[in-house]
Amino acid sequence: MAAAESPSAALRRRDLCSRGIRLAGKMRADVVDLLDAYVEQQGLDASASVAAVEGVPLAAVERWDEQTGTQRLLENLAAYRAFRALLAQMLEEQREQLGEADAGLGRALAAVLLQVSAFAYHLEELLRLESRGIPGEEGDEEEDGPPPPPRLSLFERKLRGLGVLRELAQWAVRSVRDLRQLAKPSPATGTAPGLAESP
Amino acid sequence: ESHTQYERVGADVTMKCGSMDWDAAVTWTANGTDIDESHLNGSYLILKNVDLSQSGQYSCYEGSSWHLKYQTYLRVGTPPKEPVLMCRSNNYPKGFYCSWHLPTPTYIPNTFNISVIHGTKDMVCEKDAVPKNRCHIRYLQLFSTVKYKVTLTVTNALGKNFTTLTFDEFAIVKPDPPESVVAKPVPNNPRRLEVSWQNPSSWPDPESFPLKFFLRYRPLILDQWQHVELSDGTSHTITDAYAGKEYIIQVAAKDNDIGTWSDWSVAVHATPWTEEPKHLTTEAQITETTSASTSSFMAPPTTKICDKGAVVGSGAMAVCWTAGLVVAAYSVLFI
Repeated sequence: MAAAESPSAALRRRDLCSRGIRLAGKMRADVVDLLDAYVEQQGLDASASVAAVEGVPLAAVERWDEQTGTQRLLENLAAYRAFRALLAQMLEEQREQLGEADAGLGRALAAVLLQVSAFAYHLEELLRLESRGIPGEEGDEEEDGPPPPPRLSLFERKLRGLGVLRELAQWAVRSVRDLRQLAKPSPATGTAPGLAESP
Repeated sequence: ESHTQYERVGADVTMKCGSMDWDAAVTWTANGTDIDESHLNGSYLILKNVDLSQSGQYSCYEGSSWHLKYQTYLRVGTPPKEPVLMCRSNNYPKGFYCSWHLPTPTYIPNTFNISVIHGTKDMVCEKDAVPKNRCHIRYLQLFSTVKYKVTLTVTNALGKNFTTLTFDEFAIVKPDPPESVVAKPVPNNPRRLEVSWQNPSSWPDPESFPLKFFLRYRPLILDQWQHVELSDGTSHTITDAYAGKEYIIQVAAKDNDIGTWSDWSVAVHATPWTEEPKHLTTEAQITETTSASTSSFMAPPTTKICDKGAVVGSGAMAVCWTAGLVVAAYSVLFI
């Protein structure tokens, strides 16, 4: 691919980044509200430590400042795709568990799921802009992103849900930071740091 | 051979004169001064209910020869109370620092030991040379949901104590206050004040981790603050200032996404612009005006022309009283 980025591409990237930042900001606010509602509704202790849950992408990263733009986009995309599946699963369990009992929580979950999907799509747009191939989704219809969990008890499912939402809230903050890094123009060549790569 | 002995305040202390027998004839001194025999039980020195003033050097001499038989340095103190520990990140995302102190002094030397655990990982908190009771840590990971656990243990010869803090990465983020706050009047605008400031120099990367700001201002004569939250930029124009009134202005900062607000910046003072004629009032007119006004301000001695209203805050506060008072007196008349 060409090392230099056309001015219009640079503008489009900055535009996508700004919108992405706003999307992620709104998503984070909604996830935080959802977390509060979830904790209360599920009768959990907000300060409970939840061990790393299998299949939940961790936002924690070492040497974050050294990541290339492409790395950031790919890691973000993988994470939100995983969250999309996890939230869909939670929504399903929620409906099973409560039926109509708490439509409010179900609606809030669905709203966040929508934003997660939208954000994943937005990331794909950014990758497309860099003329990067968009990685296929992990597995096919038969095996979903997260492995089907062993039949967990109700309490275990609740804790899992807490872990998912907490990690999603962290990701939302990280995504804002990642997009800000992406939006920075590279000083010398005018390309974004880390995005220009030779074939 | 000299010793050091640590004892608690209020304790009863018995000092033996080295290997001398109980019934040996000895003389004890405290910091060179002979101690009265009433404090002796045989050759043992008995100090009851010791207090801080009894710290010092105690020496025991053989009766007739005045040979020094034993010497000890008595230090009276207390075991440590639970220490006070605070951790904060003012340089996110680089790392954080923890600082500590004892709520009450022990009067004897204390050793502090700090441990930081992130999940299962031990981290090293590097002690700062200055200030002494402080250490700093670099973040190895960012965006972790795993909490940090900091334990501070304080030990001295009379006991030990400890305290623990548990927090997550985002919770302790608190920038330093904004720097170089400047407030200036706007020419030909009697209700405006232009305020500008800079990001705190300790914040390493304001471009990637932008700060948002909170401005508060009020005229000196009122107690109620006005507030403005600003999501970007390091300047703001106040457009609703009371004409001629001296204002006090402060700014605080917060990371755009996480953590808590900084403390307020140093306060700056400024007075909006007013028309020239009032600015150049003669002495006679001032006297006449102030005696007629309802203001409680004193009549200024001279009509000093100065750079009215433009003040730079960074600890130095140059308040321009003279012209300001004249203007204020006029304004009170017109309210």
